[in-house]
Amino acid sequence: MIIRQEICVGCGRCHPYCPTHAIHFQDLKSAVDQEVCYECGCCLRAEICPVEAIEDSPQVYDYPRALRKYFSDPNATHALTGIQGRGTEESKTNDVTLRVGPGEVGIAIEVGRPNIGMNLTNIQKITRALARAGIHEIEPNNPFQDMIQDHSTGDLKPELMGERVLSAIIEIQVKRDRLRHILRTIKEVAREVDSVFCLDVYTLLEPGLTVPPEVLEIIESEGLSWRPNAKINLGLGRAWERKNS
Amino acid sequence: MTHSLHREGTISSLERDYALFIYPARGFNYNGSGPKVRRIMELLYLEAPSNMIVSTLRRNLYSGVRPEEVLESIKDGARIYSAFNNREKLKEALVGIKKLDEGISVVVSGLIDQVREMAAEINLNPHTINLSLGIHGRTDRLPPPDIRQFTTMCGHGMVSPALVRDVIRRIKKGRLALWEGSIILAAPCTCGIYNPHRSQEMLHDLVPLYTVNRW
Repeated sequence: MIIRQEICVGCGRCHPYCPTHAIHFQDLKSAVDQEVCYECGCCLRAEICPVEAIEDSPQVYDYPRALRKYFSDPNATHALTGIQGRGTEESKTNDVTLRVGPGEVGIAIEVGRPNIGMNLTNIQKITRALARAGIHEIEPNNPFQDMIQDHSTGDLKPELMGERVLSAIIEIQVKRDRLRHILRTIKEVAREVDSVFCLDVYTLLEPGLTVPPEVLEIIESEGLSWRPNAKINLGLGRAWERKNS
Repeated sequence: MTHSLHREGTISSLERDYALFIYPARGFNYNGSGPKVRRIMELLYLEAPSNMIVSTLRRNLYSGVRPEEVLESIKDGARIYSAFNNREKLKEALVGIKKLDEGISVVVSGLIDQVREMAAEINLNPHTINLSLGIHGRTDRLPPPDIRQFTTMCGHGMVSPALVRDVIRRIKKGRLALWEGSIILAAPCTCGIYNPHRSQEMLHDLVPLYTVNRW
């Protein structure tokens, strides 16, 4: 994002809308720190500027800076996948797609969330740790996939190392018996990451909204706990029934 | 991915906060989903959610958009994102959606025990659960929990901690009403799952206690 200095009146109304404090006063006008800005577009969408001085940066869709936009602005459609947002449909349509089936778990590592964002070197720390642990099953439909240079090492494309995004999601689907190994790997790499990440696990339910005891036992035994709120697919999608029949 | 399973706050506050998603599946029931999603949207309008957006327009209930504009924007693949501040209203909506039987995925994000009860009461068989195992890494860099209970209502991080503090400050100075402040905080959330009714309650509790510096 940019603020046109010849128009800005220095009222400062846009400052609190920036999730990353990229807007600051400079010579009595507001300016955007281009290094810090994630290109999320919050300041522009707020329509708070009385003189319409806020605009998209002319470089916003130039590679690799465009990744900031794709992974920070929920309204942006990723050029590669044609999907808005930063992840996939994952558990939301699992009753139709059965992407995660019986005996499997999906794992999402939402790096940069909540609120902090990160330099992409932090994601590489996680992908490398996962690769060293023999985990290469990263979800192919997630736009994050396009950042990876080498699945065997977990290396991202070198030109991305200076870029920052508000969040990106590493999605994995594995058999349940590998969950313990993956959680342990993630716990270890958490000490190296200079940002935050949210950790999710999704699985099929047993009757009565019962989480499989095997999954809960693995989570507990790794010293982790689950929040009392969760995202629950109610099973009203019909394709799953057709698959069964 | 809306991140709704990571909403923070007290249990008593989360009891009045549910996100509801209607999601056609790309490559499965995406084609031809437009009219089905539109019928569900019409039903949801009658159940008075706290907030709602359709992905084809991305203007929330408080943006001044008319229901006709929202409904006319719906095409194949459109998704609905909504927030409810009342369990019974959500339950009525789910009863209606079940009756419509459009075959589109329906997801509720909320307290597991409450959703379990609701599902049993209306004879639903939940299919998949996405559990939050919390936040890891440099948690010392996060805003404090009383600010996060606002900011995590927008999973994409569009509600800035600085904006929450700014709204609190303006309410304390008498320049904003609680509800006006809530609507300001709901606006950046382009998925429409920020719950302004819950936000109003939280502001009511927090404003008298909070001392804020200029951001």
